[in-house]
Amino acid sequence: MRVALAEDSALLREGLVRLLTEEGHQVVAAVGDADAVLAAVAEHRPQVTVLDVRMPPTHTDEGLRAALTIRQRWPAVAVLVLSQYVEKRYATQLLSGDPAGVGYLLKDRVVDVDEFLDALVRVGSGGTAFDPEVVRQLLAATTHADPLSRLTERERAVLDLMAQGHTNASIGGQLFVSRSAVEKHVNSIFAKLELPGSGTHSRRILAVLRYLGS
Amino acid sequence: MSARHAGAAARQLTRPARAVAALLVGALAVPPEALALVVAGLAVLVTFGRPAPRRAIAGTLRRLAAAELSRAARWPATRPVPPPPARCVGYLVVRLGLGLLGGAVLALFGAGLVTGARLLTGWLTGDPLDDITPSWLIVGYLTMGGLVLAFLAVQGMIAVAALDQRWANRTRRPGRAALEHRIDQLSASRAEVVAAVDGERRRIERDLHDGVQQRLVALGMLLGRARRATDPERSGQLLRAAHEESRRALVELREVAWRVYPSALDSAGLPAALESVAERAGLPVRLDHRLLARPPAGVEAACYFVVCEAITNAAKHADAATATVRLTEEAGMIRIEVHDDGCGGADPAGPGLSGLARRLAAVDGRLAVCSPAGGPTVLTAEIPTEPAGPSCG
Repeated sequence: MRVALAEDSALLREGLVRLLTEEGHQVVAAVGDADAVLAAVAEHRPQVTVLDVRMPPTHTDEGLRAALTIRQRWPAVAVLVLSQYVEKRYATQLLSGDPAGVGYLLKDRVVDVDEFLDALVRVGSGGTAFDPEVVRQLLAATTHADPLSRLTERERAVLDLMAQGHTNASIGGQLFVSRSAVEKHVNSIFAKLELPGSGTHSRRILAVLRYLGS
Repeated sequence: MSARHAGAAARQLTRPARAVAALLVGALAVPPEALALVVAGLAVLVTFGRPAPRRAIAGTLRRLAAAELSRAARWPATRPVPPPPARCVGYLVVRLGLGLLGGAVLALFGAGLVTGARLLTGWLTGDPLDDITPSWLIVGYLTMGGLVLAFLAVQGMIAVAALDQRWANRTRRPGRAALEHRIDQLSASRAEVVAAVDGERRRIERDLHDGVQQRLVALGMLLGRARRATDPERSGQLLRAAHEESRRALVELREVAWRVYPSALDSAGLPAALESVAERAGLPVRLDHRLLARPPAGVEAACYFVVCEAITNAAKHADAATATVRLTEEAGMIRIEVHDDGCGGADPAGPGLSGLARRLAAVDGRLAVCSPAGGPTVLTAEIPTEPAGPSCG
């Protein structure tokens, strides 16, 4: 994949470039601030852009704002946002547009190299990747306690993974059940939460995330 | 001025005796004090417009007033804070009047005592004073008169002593304006303390995030890559790099912890902590530490952070080749001077220096920055070793 990187810590930027290169991805730009990343995206049109939230000059949410701008201007470019802390606000802002090709991970998740690379590929190919921690917070803070409490434990586990952006096949692999069993759980979840269960995979994830965040 | 020595002796005496002693000392001090005031006035005229002698004269007058205030307030346990020079002169002038009055009352009382004694001894020895023969009528009449005069004289002494004390207390006590000013000052510095604390916390969070955490994430990535590498030699390389990175993360963590609070400050004191600042500075720092006693913990920490900030600025922003740090103490005031030969242009309103000024305000200290473009930069901080009460005037 063609990847653009925006990370202000030179140490991490270097590490990410090496990791992605080793994996056979092509890093078209590696920059240290939000303005530079917008310029790089305009020039190279990467498949996916990885952005750190806190970047100069103010070290607050420059990266997130850049990600939202990229989603608006170049919808074909996927964004994977790395955040210092889980901020529900950021998650809901990222979800306000088209969720296909959006990812939001805790920065520390980069340490789980396999998961990070998996999320990157997922986002780059038009899927979603939300950090388990984000989903956990959304689940914990959701105001829809009733329908959630009607879910079985297995359904909760499936919902958790689905909200992170995993496909049915991937969920089945992680929970050691067949794909058809996962589909059954998913349908049951959508019925209990009274959500429209049709549409593409990412549409369904969006429905779930928005439901949790509302 | 021997008032304080006299005071030590007088403290042993009873209250009335102390009041009489205070009056007596006050009366005896009138001539030298009057002379001192006249000399000071002449000296001010002669050295008109030159600050150094004027400062010396003002200092002398304040010391004189402080001694007087101690005496008039019957040698209290705490030494009074002398008011500003102008008020000292006003106080001393009125005090001279009171001293004269006290002297006059004492003289009357003394004269009465001497006259009574001479009458009595005259009668007893058969050589009556002024040929006044002791008949019952005369003895009764003179005894009555003597007692009334004695009563009046004692009342006069009490009144003068009370006036003396009240005038001293009025001079010592800060006025309403001074109290209000102090309250404003305390409110402002309290708000600044809170702001300074928040600023520090923000800095610590940034330190942890930008330093330690990035290193740990990089370390984790190296280990992750090592695990994924299929070639054993490659994974060995990555592991070595990870090991090195873990060392660096530890160093970073130690640095951050040290910046949060240098533990050596508590255990080894200011000179040791400042020496390690000088060692880490990245430029040669000359340290000249002349504090006589160890200051209170809060003052010590403030001193430490002043030097830290100044040296960091000199190394990071001013590109200085050398820096000099001087700590001196005079009259309950610690003075820190940090001098660097860098390019100057330090901004007192910048986050570092303004944070420092706030920190100093919290301990009643002051910060002055002199940093013309092109250098050199001189940063001066003054911190009282004792918290200030409301000042007079």
